[in-house]
Amino acid sequence: MGIQINALKCTNCMACEMVCSYHRDDGFAFLSACLVAYRAKEKKDYFGMLLKEEDVLIVARPEGIEINKIGEEADPDKKADASAKPMLLRESCDLCEDMDDYGPMCIAFCPVDAITLD
Amino acid sequence: MEYLSTDKILVIDLNTTAIEEDELDDSLVEEKIGGVGITKYLYEKYQDDDPIVIGTGLLTGTTYPASASSQITAKSPVTGKLCHCPIIYKVGLEIKYSGFDYIVVKGRSDSPVYLWIHDGVADISDAADVWGKDVWESTDALRTFVGDDLLQTMMIGPAGENGSDYAQVCYNHWNSPDRFGFGKLFGAKNLKGFAFRGMGMIEVAEPEDYVERSLEILKEIKENDFLEKKGLAPMLTVLGEAGVEEWINPITHRNSADYFTPYATNTALFFDEDPELLKESEKDEPGILVSDIYALLSLKKLGLSADDAGRVLKASAKYGIDPFAVAKLSGKNTLEELTGAFDSLQGEVAIPGSGIFTPWCPTGPIFNDFDLSGDEEIMDWWERRQAVSMIFGIQPIFSLMCPELTEANMLELASMGTELELTQEVLDAVIENILG
Repeated sequence: MGIQINALKCTNCMACEMVCSYHRDDGFAFLSACLVAYRAKEKKDYFGMLLKEEDVLIVARPEGIEINKIGEEADPDKKADASAKPMLLRESCDLCEDMDDYGPMCIAFCPVDAITLD
Repeated sequence: MEYLSTDKILVIDLNTTAIEEDELDDSLVEEKIGGVGITKYLYEKYQDDDPIVIGTGLLTGTTYPASASSQITAKSPVTGKLCHCPIIYKVGLEIKYSGFDYIVVKGRSDSPVYLWIHDGVADISDAADVWGKDVWESTDALRTFVGDDLLQTMMIGPAGENGSDYAQVCYNHWNSPDRFGFGKLFGAKNLKGFAFRGMGMIEVAEPEDYVERSLEILKEIKENDFLEKKGLAPMLTVLGEAGVEEWINPITHRNSADYFTPYATNTALFFDEDPELLKESEKDEPGILVSDIYALLSLKKLGLSADDAGRVLKASAKYGIDPFAVAKLSGKNTLEELTGAFDSLQGEVAIPGSGIFTPWCPTGPIFNDFDLSGDEEIMDWWERRQAVSMIFGIQPIFSLMCPELTEANMLELASMGTELELTQEVLDAVIENILG
């Protein structure tokens, strides 16, 4: 069971990122989120989501899902964004196991239902 | 103030380069609540220094739906009135997380500067390298300099530097709701703009209750059928403008939302790239993001193709000029003429009602009727709704769509989040003060 992301339904509102971080911090912040709205290519209107799971980093792009195994060597041809967040240092998605009333917060709070449980 | 707040008011004097920080007292929030309630108070406190006041809403950047906006309060150099302009996209959110609830900018700098606000620190930075550059070049230069593509900016372009009455303060690369000539005010102060970035945390008094109520309100909002739609074109259609969707859809790339705003109020147009492209464009500047439905509509009514309208909007954003004023006042109707007329506009853009809120925001309800009838009732409702949105920090267009965003539940969440007693009587008094 895991998070499934439809990047084409996503409107890049960052609600998922906020409540994901809230689940860790009990305050409003973005620093601890394991699910992040990707928005660094603003002029190109290119956005999606990044999700850190225990063994993989999922990149939900508009053109499809890319799954990168954590620990594998990065593609040397891919240029990292200057603002790339240290996703690998963050805690992995735990499906908000301690949020009994909600289930995964990102699913509960996504206003456009772009995130579902697989 | 401990909750829903950074507890900081920043006061910057461009004359002396002095930077001071004040605490945000609970008593001020109990009296003025937040947003434009407090920016107006700060404006009046420092009015001898012709201040620009930036303010976040009390709920900005929280789990309350559509809590996306901050605002600029200043005297319009065009109308002479104290006006309030919403700060949208993700910029309004970033202000609070950069470490300040309110920022007062007094006086005038001797040389061009920009204000770099980050993680609770404020710097007056030399803008010599970006003065003279357009809005896109300036934002790109600062993002490169800082090494962060998520830096959020409020910048002027050549229009503001040259003192145009129609100069906008633009947000990141895009045009803004500014119909007040605030870009001219920035330019007159030698202020190129602001750059914001922060990873702060906002504490909330009763987090579990706050989040639970937020979700209940969101669920009520999601019952609205209009949320099946996205972008500017359906808004114009429901406002009675036929033919917009057929005109704009062929160059529409995607629609996006301001922070936690359930309706996507921004539409990206691609005219130098295939609009259906899903992967990342290899072109640096394939199009333009549009939030201004009336600028878009006015260009359509001039007879422009959607492609050319997009190019006018892009050129306006780069120059930092109000594209609605370009369309309405230039007397031109071709791409070349319109983009060549930026420095020769004459006339006034009408500001409805009391003249303190921007008509970038439609002056009536959208998608829902709110049980309103008659022009006077609608205008009274619109001004009150704008005031409420800018007190609490709610995306001002979405607030016109959504009856589930009530004054009562905003007050409820504000009281729950702060542990202060914020009542309808207090809110009524704040609104009365704002509307003058």
